[in-house]
Amino acid sequence: MRLDRISGALRSPITFSVLAGVLIGALFLVGTGADPVAAYEAVLTGALGADGIGSTLTTATSVLGMALALAIPLRAGLINLGGDGQLVLGGITAAVTGLYSPLPAPLTVVLALLAGMAAGAAYAVLAALCENHLGVPLLVSSLLLSYPAVSLASYLARYPLKEPGSSLPQTRALPDGVALPAFGDSTVTVGLVLVVLAAAAYWFTDRRTAIGYEIRMTGLNARFSAYAGVERQALTLRLMSVSGALAGLVGAIGVLSFPYRFVDGSLTAPGYTWTGLTAALLAAAAPLGTLIASFFFAVLQVGGLAMERTTEVPRELTQVLQAIVIVFLAARLRFPGRRLNRRKEAV
Amino acid sequence: MTPPRADAEGAGVVEGSDGVAVELRGITKRFPGTLANDAVDLTVRRGEIHALMGENGAGKSTLMSVLYGMERADAGSVIIDGREVAFASPSDAMAAGLGMVHQSFKLFDSLSVAENVVYAAEPRRFGLVDLAAARRRVRELAEEHGLSVDPDARVGDLPVGLRQRVEILKLLHRGARTLILDEPTAVLTPAEADALFAVLKSLAAEGRTVILVTHKLREVLEGSDRVTVLRDGRVVARLVTAETSADQIAAAITGRAVELDRIHAPGTAGEPVLEVAGLSTDAVRDVHLSVRAGEIVGIAGVAGNGQSELVQALAGLRATTAGRVTLRGGDITHASATERRAKGLAYVPEDRHAVGTAPAASVADNLAMGHHRTSLSSRGLLPPAAVRAHAKRLVERFGIKTSSPEVPASALSGGNLQKLLIGRELAHDAPVLLVEQPTRGVDIGAIQTIHDQLIAYRDAGHAVLLVSAELSEIRGLADRVLVMYEGRVAASYTKDEADERTLGLAMAGGDTRTQVKAAD
Repeated sequence: MRLDRISGALRSPITFSVLAGVLIGALFLVGTGADPVAAYEAVLTGALGADGIGSTLTTATSVLGMALALAIPLRAGLINLGGDGQLVLGGITAAVTGLYSPLPAPLTVVLALLAGMAAGAAYAVLAALCENHLGVPLLVSSLLLSYPAVSLASYLARYPLKEPGSSLPQTRALPDGVALPAFGDSTVTVGLVLVVLAAAAYWFTDRRTAIGYEIRMTGLNARFSAYAGVERQALTLRLMSVSGALAGLVGAIGVLSFPYRFVDGSLTAPGYTWTGLTAALLAAAAPLGTLIASFFFAVLQVGGLAMERTTEVPRELTQVLQAIVIVFLAARLRFPGRRLNRRKEAV
Repeated sequence: MTPPRADAEGAGVVEGSDGVAVELRGITKRFPGTLANDAVDLTVRRGEIHALMGENGAGKSTLMSVLYGMERADAGSVIIDGREVAFASPSDAMAAGLGMVHQSFKLFDSLSVAENVVYAAEPRRFGLVDLAAARRRVRELAEEHGLSVDPDARVGDLPVGLRQRVEILKLLHRGARTLILDEPTAVLTPAEADALFAVLKSLAAEGRTVILVTHKLREVLEGSDRVTVLRDGRVVARLVTAETSADQIAAAITGRAVELDRIHAPGTAGEPVLEVAGLSTDAVRDVHLSVRAGEIVGIAGVAGNGQSELVQALAGLRATTAGRVTLRGGDITHASATERRAKGLAYVPEDRHAVGTAPAASVADNLAMGHHRTSLSSRGLLPPAAVRAHAKRLVERFGIKTSSPEVPASALSGGNLQKLLIGRELAHDAPVLLVEQPTRGVDIGAIQTIHDQLIAYRDAGHAVLLVSAELSEIRGLADRVLVMYEGRVAASYTKDEADERTLGLAMAGGDTRTQVKAAD
């Protein structure tokens, strides 16, 4: 049973795609005259070595959080492209809460997290309402709503909430103690635990609850679940609120960790939303797969920087790797479907 | 029937095959765990209508997949017009003059009839698709073959019966010389089926060849020239239609004697449980009907006369514009599908792939749908063990053939998928069951099982509303028969009155005896 699973995983198209990506990446490296072994070694030691692991886990926190935010609606076939907007609204709300809450610091942290989640959720629900009541496809409504949210946060950070005397578009730093507890003196915070707990909750919901079952069936055949009485609009609202809450949580975690303030652009610049979306798509929104894919991308992102520093191979190579893996997997998404159709009524 | 000659393979051209359009020799195809085709020989002469029969899983679909280039045989050869071929894909088969209408249609729902018919063989003008010519072409073909359909209609809006016509027109447009039709009359009424066979016969008379994969004995007897019967992957009978009988074919198919077209004894009706008063929705006008506990009410009608819309409205999947629906005394006119199910309604929809199941999900997950909020879960938790146990129970109880409940439902044959669907809905034990086309495309053995199950369900005191295009099914099962014509209930008959001729006439709009008012 266990052996079956291992050999199944080895033969899975994901393993194949990753290996093919690594191989083609190696060819690229050889073509540019670099040593592929050294480059890959630099990626791995850079990301997983003592110096890099903290950075990798911090990146993984954001990537996994966003991947979950996108995977959860994707499981039901819904695509939330408004991750950036929900993320920065969560961040700026957490920053405002952190700056102005009259509560003691630990409670303020909790409040800031909750407020960030609420802001992200509310904004995602707005996109869902646009689909449910105005007929604007979620893909469009979520994406377009994202831009004004990012701009609003940017305005707040540049004008009303701007740190006096600073030349940077950032808010004041949060008061002492208003921060997520970190592990040792690393940048890894309790945020990672929260996000992993969210992944666990997602896994549990997906595998063992009635609503998780309905979400999966809706993703596999929306007409089938509607026929059986799953209310599509209500489901869209619920999934989008959870999705937005997670994106808001990632924003709040970003503000409540170093640099302990909202810096305009700092949440969106690393592209967590898109890396997260890629990870979710890669795993077909399956909970465990999303977790693994997020970590994989975090390793590539951090390791790529290290590789650039130590081997002069540009970090864009890791993006090439990512792209190749995705192309291979996208091809996989077609093939099993065809094979299944062929097998239909075959016996 | 000439036996295949083993010595006949020369330089591509096979000797001794004059007048033979399609010949399959020794086709063997193995799937993991099954031998789907075991050295099957099939000879189809040019200009004949050749019926290929057998139960679900007998190997018909596999054989046709091999012929049509969708599967590669492990052994054996395919000879078309005397030339041995090796199709790598259906495109190769089409290029060789074959054309196939699949049981689940391959159409673009969002495109028009004309666009669908000319797809991949579009008339062009200045390098662009000439839609006007496409529309003309469709009109010509439709007229020529008596398959009238509006070239501008959106395919997704058409009832299943008309979509079938589009599929057939598509083949005719491509000029296929050999047409393979998989269950072509499954959704047609006798009159429409007769019209289709007139078309097929005229095509055969022109020298085209028709291979008919079907479960329906009557149309095979009336419309085909020869019959090949498969069972368990082997040819068990090659018959000349004129010299055989329904019983002989049925015995060959099942391997035992079968009671055909059985008329079940009427049930004992109790109180009305489903009452519909003046219901109107898209394509349905002012329908009144009631179904009592312990009875089956059959709705007959030519496809596209509002039956599907009526049932969808009753199931809560289509808004009603007027009228009132009560279920066990409670008003459900504006209730959602969920609320209706909770109040005691189960529903077997017509389209088992697109609506009734999620083919990519496992058999177990498909069987759990609807039960996942009731018997299988508590406080929102749905233990995988409960889903598995439930699947095991239903697989056994309803004789669903599957290697494991974990395989995707798409791996099941059509008949087994239908058993899954009916089993799941019967297991709700709901007082009212809506059933659409319960045995469409299902083999004789499975039809008997499904009919017995519906009768047993009725006898347990449940009300059943049955919509079927199959008159023998309506007559065999229903205690009362309503005929729908142009969205209205045009006529209503008791079991004794409902003979095939009377129903056929009413379905064509002929008998308006009980219709309230024919004119405006």
